Amino acid sequence: MYQYQDFDQRFIDERVEQYREQTERYLRGELTDEQFLQLRLRNGLYVQRLAPMLRVAIPYGTLSSRQLRALAEISRRYDKGYGHLSTRQNMQFNWPELESVPDILGDLAKVQMHAIQTSGSCIRNVTTDQFAGVADDESVDARPYCEIIRQWSTQHPEFDWLPRKFKIALNGAASDRAAIQVHDIGIRVDRDTSGNVTFDFLVGGGLGRTPAIASVIRRGLPEPHLLTYLEAILRIYNRHGRRDNKYKARIKILVRAMTPEAFAERVDQEWAYLKDGPSTLTAAELDRVKACFAPPDYPDRDDQTALLAEQRLKSPDFNNWVRNNVSSHKVAGYAIATLSTKHPGVPSGDVSDAQMEAVADWADEFGFGEIRISHEQNFVLPDVAQDNLYALWQRASEMALATPNAGLLTDIVCCPGGDYCSLANAKSIPIAQAIQQRYDDYDYLHDLGPIDLNISGCMNACGHHHVGHIGILGVDKKGAEFYQVSLGGDAGDDASLGRIIGPSFARDDVPRVIEQILDVYVSRRIEEEPFLSCFRRIGVQPFKERVYAGAR
Amino acid sequence: MPVLVKNLEIVDDPWTLIDSSDKGDPVPGEGSILSFEHWTSRAHATTETCVRSLRSPGVGFWVDGEVDVERVCDHLDGASLVAVKFRAFADGRGLSLGVLLRSRCGFTGELRAFGDILPDLAQYLHRSGFNAFVVENHRAAEVAIASIQSITDHYQASALQPEPAFRRISARG
Repeated sequence: MYQYQDFDQRFIDERVEQYREQTERYLRGELTDEQFLQLRLRNGLYVQRLAPMLRVAIPYGTLSSRQLRALAEISRRYDKGYGHLSTRQNMQFNWPELESVPDILGDLAKVQMHAIQTSGSCIRNVTTDQFAGVADDESVDARPYCEIIRQWSTQHPEFDWLPRKFKIALNGAASDRAAIQVHDIGIRVDRDTSGNVTFDFLVGGGLGRTPAIASVIRRGLPEPHLLTYLEAILRIYNRHGRRDNKYKARIKILVRAMTPEAFAERVDQEWAYLKDGPSTLTAAELDRVKACFAPPDYPDRDDQTALLAEQRLKSPDFNNWVRNNVSSHKVAGYAIATLSTKHPGVPSGDVSDAQMEAVADWADEFGFGEIRISHEQNFVLPDVAQDNLYALWQRASEMALATPNAGLLTDIVCCPGGDYCSLANAKSIPIAQAIQQRYDDYDYLHDLGPIDLNISGCMNACGHHHVGHIGILGVDKKGAEFYQVSLGGDAGDDASLGRIIGPSFARDDVPRVIEQILDVYVSRRIEEEPFLSCFRRIGVQPFKERVYAGAR
Repeated sequence: MPVLVKNLEIVDDPWTLIDSSDKGDPVPGEGSILSFEHWTSRAHATTETCVRSLRSPGVGFWVDGEVDVERVCDHLDGASLVAVKFRAFADGRGLSLGVLLRSRCGFTGELRAFGDILPDLAQYLHRSGFNAFVVENHRAAEVAIASIQSITDHYQASALQPEPAFRRISARG
C-alpha cells in the first residue's frame, strides 16, 4: 500500500484545517449555502434527505486493517454504527453532523485517509480492479498509476472546477473488472513486446442520463507520459466542455459532439506542448510509488486442492461459497476471498462497525493486513492461504459476510435510493431486498450462473443499471414510484448498454418480472450458456413477450 | 467595496475598467482596462501610449474566462494587464486561461481575476498564474490571502511552480 511521507501528511493535515476554517465561516454566516455547497462537496459532504452524507475516499479500493478499524470507530462515534460501501469503492456515512465533519476528517488524516474530491465537479476517486496485484490474469498492477493519478489530481490548480464530475478507472488485467469503458477516462494498462508499461486511453464513456461506451483515443502511450497526456485531455475538457446544461456537461457529450477522432486530434495538439515537460514521470518517482505496492513476502505454500475438495464435499455451504466467492490468486497456495455484503435483509453495501472490525481482524490473521472494496460493494481479502479458507468462511458466516453469491443474481449492486438520497425518484433498497428474499436457494442461484443485477433509484445511475445484465431504474410516474427494466448491459470486456424492455412496472410487480425474465432464460439457454450470452443470442423479444403477455 | 489583492497584499487599485459600451471614446487613458473588442480595434494606438509613458501603469484589457485563448495570445503586445472575468466562481475555464497565458503565451504582466471571486478560489487562481484578484470586501481579501497560505506545498506542477513535487523533493521525506 502507499505510505504517506511527511509531504503527504502535511498536505492532508493542512487540508483538514482549511476545511475546518471553511465550515466555521459557513456556520458564522459568512458563506451562503450555495458557496459552501461547492466547498463541502470537494470534501465529500452532501446534504441528503435526512442528514448530511460524508463520502470517504478509499483510493482505488485498497485499505489497511488499521484504516478499516478507524472507519469502524468513526461510524460508532459520529454515525449510527454502520457505513455504506459505494459503487466507486468508497465508504459513505449517512448520519454525521455537519459541525463534526472537520473532526471526522482529522481522525481520517491520522490514518492517511481523506474525503477529498469524493464529490463535486472535479476529478473523483480513481478506481481499479479490486483484485489488482493478486489476480492471476493480470499483466500490470494498476495501483501505482492510480496513486500517481490520485496525487496529481488532488487539489489540482486548474482542474478542480470542471464542467462536471470526472471519473477515471484503470485496469491492468485480461478481464476488465474496473468497467473502464463506462468512465470519463478508462485506462488499460498493459505491456508492449519489450515488457515496457503502456497505456491505452479510452474517453467519453459513462452512465447517467446519456449512457455511452468510451472510445479509444490513444493506444500504447509509454509509461512516463501518463500525467502529461491526462493534462491534455483535462484541459480540452475544462475549456470546451459544456457548462450551460449540467445534463450535457460530461466529457462524453463533448467527445460525441466533436467526434472521437477530432477530440483525439485536439488532445494530441495540446499534448505536443506538454510532452516531455516537467510533469513527465521520472524513473525515481515510478520506482518510489511502485515499491509501495511490491508484493508481500509470501511464505512458500502449495495449492491445497485435496484439502479443499475434502472440505467442500463435507460442507455444501462451504462448497457454494468457494465456488462463487473465492477467486484464483497469482501465487500458489493462496486465494482471493470476496466477503459479500449482500445478505438477506441488509441493504447492499451496508456494513456495521462490528463487521468492519471483524474484517480488519481477518485481514491481519489470514492475510497481510490489507482489504479491498469492490465496485460491487463487497469486501475482498486478497491474500488468504488456501488452508485458511475454511476457518475464514466459518468466521465470516457468523458475521453475515459469507453469503455465497458473489457474481450471482442476489449480489445486487444498488444505490441508497429514495430511502436516503435526495436525488432519487424511487426507492431501490426494497427492490433489492424483495429479490434477495425470493432467491435464497444457492443451488438455484448457482445454476442461474453469473448475473449482474444493478438497481439505480434515478437516472444518475449510481447503481450502474445500464451495465447490469438486468438493470432496474426507478422512475417517477406522476408522483408514483415505478421501475424500468433493461436487459443485456455489461461493464466487462465486451461492454454494452442494456436495452429497455418496455413500459415500467409498479414496485410489487418487479419480482414477478424478474422471475419471468429468468424463466425465459432457463428455458431458452443452450447448455451452460450464461444469461448475457443467451440474451445476446435470442434478443429482447422473447423476454418482452413473456413479461408483457396479457398486458395488451 | 471591492478590494484588490496583488502579490498577496491588499493594495489600492490604480486601474479603471472601461465597459465595452464606451467603445466610441477617444484614445484611452493610462490605467484603462478596455474590453477585448475595444483593445483589438485600438492595438496600435495603445501600444504607442504604453511605450510613451513607462512610469504609469500602462493599458490593458479584460476578457471572459471562456474566451478563445489563441485569440488573446495574438493580441498581448503592449498590454501590461489582462483581467479575466469569472461569471461564476465554479467556472474553471478562467483557470485554464490563466495557465495558458502564462505558460504558452509568455504573458508576464499583471494577470487579474474579477467577477464572482469567492475567497476560496484564490488558492486556485494563485497557482494558475493570476497574481491579482478582486474580491468583494476587505474581509474576503484577508480570507483569500490566508487560504492561499494555508497549504504549504502541492503535488502538481503549476503556473507558479513548474516542477511537480516528485521532481523537487528527492527521496520525498
